[in-house]
Formats: sequence, structure tokens, C-alpha cells
Amino acid sequence: MYRAQDEVSLLRASLQGDTSAWGEIISRYKDAVFGLCLGFLRNRADAEDLSHDAFIRAYVNLRKYNLDRKFSTWLFTIAANLCRNKLRYRRNHPTGEMPLHLQGGKDPAKVIDKEDQHAQIQQALTQLPYSYRAPLVLRFYNDLSYREISEVLSIPEGTIKTRIHRGKIMLKELIEKERDPA
Amino acid sequence: MTTDRFEDLLRSTLKAETEAAADRIADLEDRVILEIEERSPKLLWHEWLRQLLAPTTGSRIGQLLVVGATAAVFLFVGMGISSNLLRNNASPRLSLQPVRAADGTQEVLFVLPAMDAENVAVVGSFNSWEETQLSDQDGDGIWTASIPLSPGRYEYAFLIDGRWWGQDPLADEYVQSFGEFSSVRYIGRGGDEV
Repeated sequence: MYRAQDEVSLLRASLQGDTSAWGEIISRYKDAVFGLCLGFLRNRADAEDLSHDAFIRAYVNLRKYNLDRKFSTWLFTIAANLCRNKLRYRRNHPTGEMPLHLQGGKDPAKVIDKEDQHAQIQQALTQLPYSYRAPLVLRFYNDLSYREISEVLSIPEGTIKTRIHRGKIMLKELIEKERDPA
Repeated sequence: MTTDRFEDLLRSTLKAETEAAADRIADLEDRVILEIEERSPKLLWHEWLRQLLAPTTGSRIGQLLVVGATAAVFLFVGMGISSNLLRNNASPRLSLQPVRAADGTQEVLFVLPAMDAENVAVVGSFNSWEETQLSDQDGDGIWTASIPLSPGRYEYAFLIDGRWWGQDPLADEYVQSFGEFSSVRYIGRGGDEV
């Protein structure tokens, strides 16, 4: 029933306590938020938990959302902050979790298959420092502009451009290194 | 490999890894809504007052009794707080110096001026990088929170309306990680030793 409604109407209804309207917002954005969290964290279980937390936190703080601001950018900022906090927590509490490219789905032998380019990029993304990985995910998964990425990560736009450029070079270097360890 | 080809490959990789795990968020809407509905609704004070004063079919005298009783409770509590403050006037608790308990735990005050902020929180290694809200009850733009910390080294940063603010003027030192600054305080055997 909400399909035809615009986003602002859904947000206003959510603000009035209409949880089914908020459910529609979640349906529209859950892939984007989950993909962001998965790209940042490289772990499916953590990405699932933090996507859930991001929508709860956004709902609780909906009164603070300024309608002049793009909703997706505001929501992604919440998710990105949660991911950053999770990564800081992980740094202080290492668990030895399996990295994303080895988590289920594919035959582990295929991961080292030199022809499997997706697996190679996944592995390289896991090794890439967060400060380069995050702008790449927002740019190439969430399709955000440099200005929007700058807003989500609270980093100057010039720095974002540099990190995306440098991040791509680092990814290629990591893939090459994996192909030819010598 | 050309840049365009590499960017396409990066896009398709990120899309594929999300699709491969899509079953994890299949019922995300239901789970989020369930949690929202389980939480007790918190009414703002003006909504609560409006509900209390809303016209009803019941007795107006009953409503007035409720309002009167509430006012009496506020008056009683207010008198108690003010007399307590007067008694402790010689040694106010609000201090930048940590207050130490017998077990070594100290009440550490986090202070940040943020004039136009709507929300200020502190995240750090002491709260698993989960937000602890600061408050500005008198509206002067000075946000504070007092957090009990045992002796040790703590990394932290403020979030001003969600924005990272990693350089607390009261920190003992700064560190840079994830491309941003965080503040560090030493409690007990470090910079806050008194």
C-alpha cells in the first residue's frame, strides 16, 4: 500500500509511530545498508547485526533528521558510524573470525583460483585498510557522489578523491601480489 | 586491465557478495519492527502534558487532582534537591579532576563545548565504542557526562550530531587510526593521577 507514496510521506508517518511505514523504508534501503556494512566490515554476521541496529537507531533518532538533507545520506552516516565503532571494538577484542571471502557459499579451493576475479577482489578488499575501503564501497556499491561520501564519512571531499584513486591502485597491487607472490 | 573495466568488476563484486548473503536480511523489516514495538514508547514532556490535559469524557476534577498531585511531587523533589545543593555548596561535585572511589574507580568528567549541537555523545574503549550521551541541561552549549572508569588507558572520541570529533582539549594524548584522530586518557597511573 505504501509503494505509491513518496519518501517524505513515509518518514512523516513513521515519525507519528506508524511502524508499517518504517517497514516500507527498511524494504527500500535494507540492501543498500547491508551492502555498506558488509563492504566495510567484511563479515556477514556483523553486517546483519549492524544493519538491524542502524534501522533501530535511525527510527529512534528520526526527530533529529532534517528533511532538507537527503535521507539515504543520513541513514548511511548512521550505518557508517556503527561500522567504524565495531571495527574499533574488533581491534581491541580480536576474535579470529573467518574473513568474508572464506565465509560459506563457495568452495575454498575456488578462492585461490586465479581466474575467479570476484574472489580475488573480495580478498583484496578484506586486506585493504578501512580508510581506503570505506570510500570505495560508498562509491562503487552505494553509488554516492564524492560530496555525499565526504558527508557520510566526515572527511573532506579532496581527501575522498585521493583515497578512491589510491584505493583502486592498492587493490590492483594486492591482486597482482596474490597472483604472483614472488 | 583498464580503469573502467576494473571499476565495473569492483561494482559487480560488491553487488555479488551482498546478493550471496541476502538471506540474512530477508525478514529484517519484521525483526526491526518487533524490536521497536517491544520498546516502551517514550513520550516527550510536552506530549505527556498534552495527553494529561486533553479533554476527556471523565471528570475534570479527577484531572485537576492528578495535575495537582504531580505539581506537589515536583515541588517536594525540587525542595529536596535545592537543600542538598546548599549543604554541599562548599565542595561541589562537578570538577574536571576525577573523583576516586575506594576500588580505584574514578568518576571521569567528559566536557565538550558545542554551541549549536542537538546531540553530543562520547564513544570509546570504555563503552565498546557504543554511544554514551552527554547532556547540556542549562542550554549553555557546554555538554558533559560523568563516567566511572577503572585505572587504565582509554581511547575515545566525541560524536557531535553524528560527526566524529577526536581531539578533546582535555586529552592526555592523541592517536591516529582509521584515518582519524582519537583522544587518549590515562586513568590512575597516568595523566589524571591526582
